[in-house]
Amino acid sequence: MNNSKQLRMTVYTSLFVAFIAIGAFIAIPVGPVPIVLQNMFVLLAAIILGPTWGLACVAIYLLIGLAGLPVFSGGGAGIGKLFGPTGGYLLGYLPAVFVTASISKGLGKKMSSDIIAMVIGSLIIYAAGVPWLKVVTSMTYEKALAVGMYPFLIGDILKIIAAAFIAKTLRPVIKL
Amino acid sequence: MANLTPFTYRQGQSILHLLDVRCKFFMICLVSMSMLSAHLFACFFYFLILLFFFKKSGLNFFATMTSIKYFILLLFFIFIARALTVKGDILFSFYGMTITEQGLTEGFVVAFKFFLVMLTGLVFSSTTQPSSVKSAVQWFLKPIPFVLEKRVAVMISLALGFMPIIASQAQKISDAQKARCGDLQSNPVKKIIHLVLPLLRKTFLSADSLVLAMESRCYSDDRIDPAFMSSGKEIYFLAGSVVLSLSLVCL
Repeated sequence: MNNSKQLRMTVYTSLFVAFIAIGAFIAIPVGPVPIVLQNMFVLLAAIILGPTWGLACVAIYLLIGLAGLPVFSGGGAGIGKLFGPTGGYLLGYLPAVFVTASISKGLGKKMSSDIIAMVIGSLIIYAAGVPWLKVVTSMTYEKALAVGMYPFLIGDILKIIAAAFIAKTLRPVIKL
Repeated sequence: MANLTPFTYRQGQSILHLLDVRCKFFMICLVSMSMLSAHLFACFFYFLILLFFFKKSGLNFFATMTSIKYFILLLFFIFIARALTVKGDILFSFYGMTITEQGLTEGFVVAFKFFLVMLTGLVFSSTTQPSSVKSAVQWFLKPIPFVLEKRVAVMISLALGFMPIIASQAQKISDAQKARCGDLQSNPVKKIIHLVLPLLRKTFLSADSLVLAMESRCYSDDRIDPAFMSSGKEIYFLAGSVVLSLSLVCL
């Protein structure tokens, strides 16, 4: 990778780190539960930046939060938040972003392949987040799924569809 | 993000404000780790120490509690969940659910530990400038092989710079949508696209200008290492945190 391309990717990755952090604060009112855009930006980072830079993006986001800066949802930060009840979702972003980016790249970065990749990525986030929530709160799996997954599924489907359209429009603009 | 959260840096001249950020990092990690195996008495002891540093740093404890009320609600939920699920000597029984003595104790200990770790992080982020956090991250990553610590530090500082810009752009776009009756749009997918797409397009175009500006100034990863401020009392704080961690584990 030449210097210019590397510099461009460095800036774009930093931009996505900022988007993921800000995504926790951007809420779109849809029905009684507003949609928060944080995990949409994680999946967008995966399909736009690719596996390596996407993984770097999420790792830096977690590092900033771990270092004590208020970038996690609700203005949270630090080791307490990362190992708290919602820590599994945050750590699940790492494998999710890598797998989503790899599938999207492998299937040729088409809209349909982006949707498949993002659905799998979302499932990985829940696969990490729900058991973690269960262990920390000592809930049963049924309860953990009821509070940590089911209420967000419709919002996730909407976000994945929107993200696929956004990626399709954005790719020609940013010329990666 | 543009709003002041309890985790935002607050200017001050307290000893925690003046302490070397690397020392603060070491202390926060050590204490958070030892908190995992601490007993309730030790937790109360640490809570008193935290209250002292809250006062010393000029933070208002009660105002902070109000601003983290949702987190406290979550802790209450963890407490209830533990009280209902841990088996032991039954205290109350209603509608087929039982609350045990062991459940109450364990629930309180777990929720209290999370509360203390959160307060520790809060004191750290309220007394530490984001730019010095970036420098400390670079310093800590230096010995790790295959990690380009200078590039990571640049990315952190760029991301921190982008955050307020994105937050204000998002607000402007949202206001512009409302002015054009965009909030009457009932299709949720269109709602998301109409906010996010202009936001991404706008910020990526400005990022392109930034790349050009960095290239034209011959940017490279070979940059001068950051300088750290020291209060001269770091050694006492490090020794204190080691003693505190041992007390938390052994008490």
